[in-house]
Amino acid sequence: MKCDWVKENVLLYVYNELPDDARYELEQHLARCTDCAAELKTTRKFHAVLSELQVEEPSPNLVASSRMRLQEALETTSQGGFWQRLVFDPAMWLRQMRVSPALSAAIFIIGFASGIGATYKIVNGGAAGAISVPALSAPSESSVAGIQSISQDPGSNQISIKYNTLSTQEAQGSLNDQRIQQLLLFAARNNYNSGVRMDSVDLLTQQPNGTHVREALIYALRYDSNPGVRLKALGGLGNYVKSDPRVRDAVLEGLMNDSNPGVRTEALHLLEPVRADGSVRAVLQGLAESDKNQYIKAQARNMLAQMPEFD
Amino acid sequence: MPADALAVPFTVGGCSPRERDVRGEAGSTQDPKRRGHMAGQSLGRIDDTMLVREAQRGNRAAFEELVRHYDQAVLRLAIHLTGNEHEAQDIYQEAFLKAYKSVANFRFECSFYTWIYRIVTNLCLDHLRRRQVRKEDAPVATDASGEQYDVLEQVPDVRAGNNPERDLMSRELGGRINRALDRLTPRERMVFELKHYHGLKLRTVGEVLNTTEETAKNTLFRATQKLRGALADMR
Repeated sequence: MKCDWVKENVLLYVYNELPDDARYELEQHLARCTDCAAELKTTRKFHAVLSELQVEEPSPNLVASSRMRLQEALETTSQGGFWQRLVFDPAMWLRQMRVSPALSAAIFIIGFASGIGATYKIVNGGAAGAISVPALSAPSESSVAGIQSISQDPGSNQISIKYNTLSTQEAQGSLNDQRIQQLLLFAARNNYNSGVRMDSVDLLTQQPNGTHVREALIYALRYDSNPGVRLKALGGLGNYVKSDPRVRDAVLEGLMNDSNPGVRTEALHLLEPVRADGSVRAVLQGLAESDKNQYIKAQARNMLAQMPEFD
Repeated sequence: MPADALAVPFTVGGCSPRERDVRGEAGSTQDPKRRGHMAGQSLGRIDDTMLVREAQRGNRAAFEELVRHYDQAVLRLAIHLTGNEHEAQDIYQEAFLKAYKSVANFRFECSFYTWIYRIVTNLCLDHLRRRQVRKEDAPVATDASGEQYDVLEQVPDVRAGNNPERDLMSRELGGRINRALDRLTPRERMVFELKHYHGLKLRTVGEVLNTTEETAKNTLFRATQKLRGALADMR
């Protein structure tokens, strides 16, 4: 009985396909049973004979020529996906709808959303109808479904980030680590949890030298719904008001349009060193004349008064 | 074109999440050099997801990057199965074009690796089936003792390498093994190929061939029995 079982499984043993317990049991039996040990020897020899026929690596020339041929063909091939789905799938959807009310509801929602999406693309694509393709430079954004948490160990520069792709993963590394930076950038832009956005913006402000980082901070300042995050982003951008005109514009925009008086006040303070700049001056004059917020109005007047007159 | 090849993009479901480490596991029965190569390819696992998403948005550069992740493995499999670089190149071309056209339908229910391998193995199976039909029409002769034999079998098989340095003995051995492999059914051949020569786990073989691990295991048993019979005197 036992020998039969071993003979059935000796092939899987050789191919390393047996679970640990079965493997152990089989090895125990092989040590005692000469017949089965001989069977293992035969199977191994057979395995070795077949391995004589080697798997050749494709030559670099073949790989290169295959790639070139494919590239040429891709030039003239279009992806069938979108239209194919539109044309072929409704029949399948209808079939499935009959059996699944939940699915039909989901399909309705998806259809509605894709309708909006398609309209958006057509409107943005202009007359040529070109669908804009995001640059490959920050493609990791697409693989990350969401950021769960960000934490920094006190007293070290190690940052832990939990994020979702197909499953939750954890990335660890210093702030200089490119992967960590990418995740932080993603978190700053896209996360639904404002606490996580706050954490990531906070960490990014520690290293605002990179253009990507600065862009993310500007983005947060302009579009983040949480005033705390906007304030944090503003803090990180403070040192670049002088040197980077894009930062200055974003801060000015914050000063003029932000809904939160705290953010506006902070923006006003940041602009103090560049108050002589033409655009800043114009904004300050506007604020000094007619801003609804008394404090900002007074501060703007103050700043203008301290300025040397040019004309 | 057979139905199963066409059905590929629409039947990507049913993959277990466990097979995500599939590229790392490959090579268990083969040499360490190739194992390293496969492990190196698996480093791009995270990249794959984002590249696939980019490709789905119509980014051709992203798709070409995906091709570069997998094309050597695809060529290796196709060359070993067809024994012919031109045919392997045709399979390569057709597989990646098919993948390009259908990548928008890829829904991440299994890894991109499994998906592309499924397309390739379907094309290879078609190729093997066509070859088997051709073989049935092969010329048969009768030898001195009155037994029939396949004339083509007498032609030395130099498919595996075209390597002049390899000695005659191993070339003959390779030829015999190739002929024994050719006698398997296309499906048996494919299971044996993926398991023995490409080191895939049976679970993965099952997923690639749209079947269960148990079925893959039974097919492997059958293939092994036949091969042992055909190569009995070599043991």
